Amino acid sequence: MVDYLAILPEIALLVLAAILLLVDIRLKEEGKDTLNWIALFGLVITFVLTILLAQPGEEEVIWGGMLRHDWMAFVFRLVFIAGAAFTVVFSRGWEAIGDRGEFYGLLVLSTLGMTLMGAAGDLVMLLLAIETASIPLYIMAGFSTKDGKSAEAGFKYLLFGAMTSAVMMYGFSLLFGFGGTTDIYALADAIAAGNVPTLPLMTSIILVLVGFGFKISMFPFHFWSPDVYEGAPTPVTGFLSTASKAAGFAVLVRVMLVAFPSVTVEWQTLLAILSAITMTVGNLVALRQTNIKRMLAYSSIGHAGYILMGVAAASSLGVISVVYYIAAYLLTNLAAFGFVAIYYKQTGSDEIEDYAGFSRRSPGLAFAMLFTFLSLGGIPPLGGFFGKLLVFSAAIQADMVWLAVVGVLNAVIALYYYLTVIKFVYLRRQEGDEVPFPVAKSQSLAIIICVLGVTFLGVIMAPMFELAQKVASSFF
Amino acid sequence: MVPLSYYVALSAILFALGALGVLTRRNTIIIFMSIELMLNSANLLFVAFARSFGDVSGQIFVFFVMAVAAAEVAVGLALIVAVFRNKHTINIDEVSGLKG
Amino acid sequence: MDFILEPLNLVTFFPLVGVLLLLLLKNEQKKIARWVALVTALVTFGISLWVLSMFDASNPGLQFMIEEDWIQVAGWKIKYALGMDGISILLVLLTTFLTPIAILSTWKAIDEKVRDFQLFFLLLEMGMLGVFLAQDLFLFYVFWEFTLVPMYFLIGIWGGEKRMYAAIKFFLYTMAGSILMLLAILWLGIRQGTFFLPELIAKGGIPADVQFWLFLAFAAAFAIKVPMWPLHSWLPDAHVQAPTAGSVILAGVLLKMGTYGFVRFNLPLFPEAAVQLAPTMALLAVIGILYGAAVSYSQTDVKKLVAYSSVSHLGFVILGIFALNEQGIAGGILQMVNHGISTGALFLLIGFIYERRHTRDFDQFGGLWKVVPVYAVITLIVSLSSMGLPGLNGFVGEFAILLGAWGAGTAGGPLGTPLFAAFAAAGVILAAVYILFMFQKMFLGPITVEENKNIKDLNWRELLVIVPLLVFIFWIGLYPKPFFDLIGPSVSHLVEMLPTAVSTVLH
Repeated sequence: MVDYLAILPEIALLVLAAILLLVDIRLKEEGKDTLNWIALFGLVITFVLTILLAQPGEEEVIWGGMLRHDWMAFVFRLVFIAGAAFTVVFSRGWEAIGDRGEFYGLLVLSTLGMTLMGAAGDLVMLLLAIETASIPLYIMAGFSTKDGKSAEAGFKYLLFGAMTSAVMMYGFSLLFGFGGTTDIYALADAIAAGNVPTLPLMTSIILVLVGFGFKISMFPFHFWSPDVYEGAPTPVTGFLSTASKAAGFAVLVRVMLVAFPSVTVEWQTLLAILSAITMTVGNLVALRQTNIKRMLAYSSIGHAGYILMGVAAASSLGVISVVYYIAAYLLTNLAAFGFVAIYYKQTGSDEIEDYAGFSRRSPGLAFAMLFTFLSLGGIPPLGGFFGKLLVFSAAIQADMVWLAVVGVLNAVIALYYYLTVIKFVYLRRQEGDEVPFPVAKSQSLAIIICVLGVTFLGVIMAPMFELAQKVASSFF
Repeated sequence: MVPLSYYVALSAILFALGALGVLTRRNTIIIFMSIELMLNSANLLFVAFARSFGDVSGQIFVFFVMAVAAAEVAVGLALIVAVFRNKHTINIDEVSGLKG
Repeated sequence: MDFILEPLNLVTFFPLVGVLLLLLLKNEQKKIARWVALVTALVTFGISLWVLSMFDASNPGLQFMIEEDWIQVAGWKIKYALGMDGISILLVLLTTFLTPIAILSTWKAIDEKVRDFQLFFLLLEMGMLGVFLAQDLFLFYVFWEFTLVPMYFLIGIWGGEKRMYAAIKFFLYTMAGSILMLLAILWLGIRQGTFFLPELIAKGGIPADVQFWLFLAFAAAFAIKVPMWPLHSWLPDAHVQAPTAGSVILAGVLLKMGTYGFVRFNLPLFPEAAVQLAPTMALLAVIGILYGAAVSYSQTDVKKLVAYSSVSHLGFVILGIFALNEQGIAGGILQMVNHGISTGALFLLIGFIYERRHTRDFDQFGGLWKVVPVYAVITLIVSLSSMGLPGLNGFVGEFAILLGAWGAGTAGGPLGTPLFAAFAAAGVILAAVYILFMFQKMFLGPITVEENKNIKDLNWRELLVIVPLLVFIFWIGLYPKPFFDLIGPSVSHLVEMLPTAVSTVLH
């Protein structure tokens, strides 16, 4: 008997996607705004239902091990659904996507894939979940087909994605060969029983990591992200950089911790090194960006490096730090791309220089932007700070002080380019900066929620921390 | 019966060919074909292992991989068409409006 | 409610009341904004005086302790803990005392975005008070970093021409040091199982080699803040670009956060490392004293001169602290206050003349004595205090420091050689040279620039700003006993924790 409550969010998302597509057919051109509301309310309802009805109790196995109903799955579901809901808000009125039913359908389907990624307990499910999440994203990135940049972004994203997932598949097939099973939870024992030598096992782990690394834009599989982030419609970029990345981390954490305990030290070292390189590369290149979307793309590579630090710690605190960081990062980065979207819609520019005098045009929005960027830079008392604190702690606890030092130096570099944006917003002026800046009510509400959430995560840490602890407890 | 190691070797060769194709070819259609080759090398391995373990789950996996590959190609071709309309080329080196 | 009315909570967070009121105003309501800020700052000062009246000077431990669990999960024991002892009380009073003065000095000088300015100023005050009162490493770090943000804006929005460069340089320099400290804090919190300072000190037991690294990590943050040579290069930029009130607070209080950090954290947490590294720190301090003095002499911008003189003066403070005996540390703490008062006053005076002439170049002045006698006399007093003339406050602190450093330089002392004290004493003479040089250039001789003939002397508001500082310059100079009485017990308690034979040698 399948516990349908446990997969309630997935069912709800599927129904929502179907409704969106059906309504889209019936709606006339001028009524397309309704779709946005339907998508938003659908997601909010799903979010609430998930919290109320789909909380995990005893650890449950669904469909013979295909899905796991645990705290990991639960927390990440909330992360994805929240990410999708904010994306819907920021898509409002965005040319060529905001009034298209397919767009919202794809967004919801992609979210469905992500929730499955967070819960997948079997390689087959994992493959399907990753592809369900990715394929709609390819289309969404290339959604503005008339805009050459967007089409190119979708195309590049797809090419990289297909390539890395093919490599990952080869890794899966090798793992199947070593263990004789596709169940992630049975794999560890099977590998241990089969006495698989370290070298071939590590080879297959690396092949699998190619696929995961692509999702989280880990070095050296990060090349796609600046181009795709820049070219894709900004709301989609926000979604890509938060929910999609979080999904990658959910899978990474689960697979690494559950399936490969026999070679923990080896993959820990590997991830630690990749983490150091990822954040250094991301932050250094971000320094010389003039386009805010590209800058945020590289900065999000840097953040992936920090989160990897928590994964590399392979400890309870490590998992806690990953979850906490992702929660804070989700809100902050969504807000950041929210500003970019709002600003682009008004001015048609993504250049950092053009943000000069923004604080005069819209003091409220600029203030929220200040919060967001300071949180990204890890200044207390904001959520980003506590997230960084936890990943550093995890690294220190795992005796990787060198990694923590690299992280710390990176934090200073990162702060520089975040300050550059603040500098333009607050300290520079430009002509016409007296003109007030109109913002839609729903969008300013979304930004207020993000900023409050980030502040909350930085001041009152206990609730989120306890949640993260529950996630960790299903692994340790 | 053909030993398992032959299959492993063959799939490794196919995978390497596919990877080489992806890295060296510049025509996007051919890159896609190379990716298919990589996927099929994984499929071959799944089937071979499934056969030797006497476990059908590997063979079932192959069906899913094929379905996924088909979906990817469908989307991919659509995007290639969109890019071709904008740029009038499908050479990967010439499709580079985004740089940094 | 009781929790809010705890004395230290009131002191720390009362500025927030002003911030909330200011948020209700518009930037155009300049007058109200100024008054709100001033009254808030004055009330905060009043509360701190009330705390002082309840303070038991004979008790060396922490008083008015507030201790609440903040985050207590999975081996993370973070507390919300505030406490005050003889080391922090004077600095708290200095902060609450200088803030209203600085706000009053902006009455005319800041005319753009007044509300925002006052808002950042009060936030800054809150952060600084939190730094001096926090007794939990985590909480301390939160306040420590928090102070950067308002200061960044104070410099960046209301600063001089190169304000953006200066603001970002200030932010990044400080951040680079403090984030290393964060790592050390995390290490302590995880390995020792608590972030609560008294508990950490009581626990001790950190191996000497680890202490060495942790000491350096903390020192990185504090040394940049102080700033110690060779990490001082952000300071002149920040000072020159900052608005007057910003400079006053920067020199008066913010820099003290670094020296305070050494006393509060480095000495009791890593006593062995402190003893081991004392000569190194003293060496850097003495280099700072001489370097600051030498560079001051070659400046043509008055503000830059005072900025570099801070490097020199704070070198004395560091030397006193790392003498690791009572005279040295107590003198160091008193000197922090003295420097806050005298340098604060100097920056105010420079601000006054800058508002009149819009230049700070020496060559633009000369012979001012005849034009603005009141201004000149006050400047003379403050300058003499800054160079350590007996009878004024600077002398008392420097004398105690030199005494301490000399004592620590005797055989078996932590500094090992009296040379440090000797070179530092030479610094006092150099200070006399550059300060008198400045005074002579500006005030004596004939009036060379036509515009200087019509400068107005100080008005009532300006006198109101500067006179309280003069009171303390004389008070501390003539009768420093009440101040030493406040500091003394806590300092001797601190010295007892250090593994040096010196404290016994001295007595």
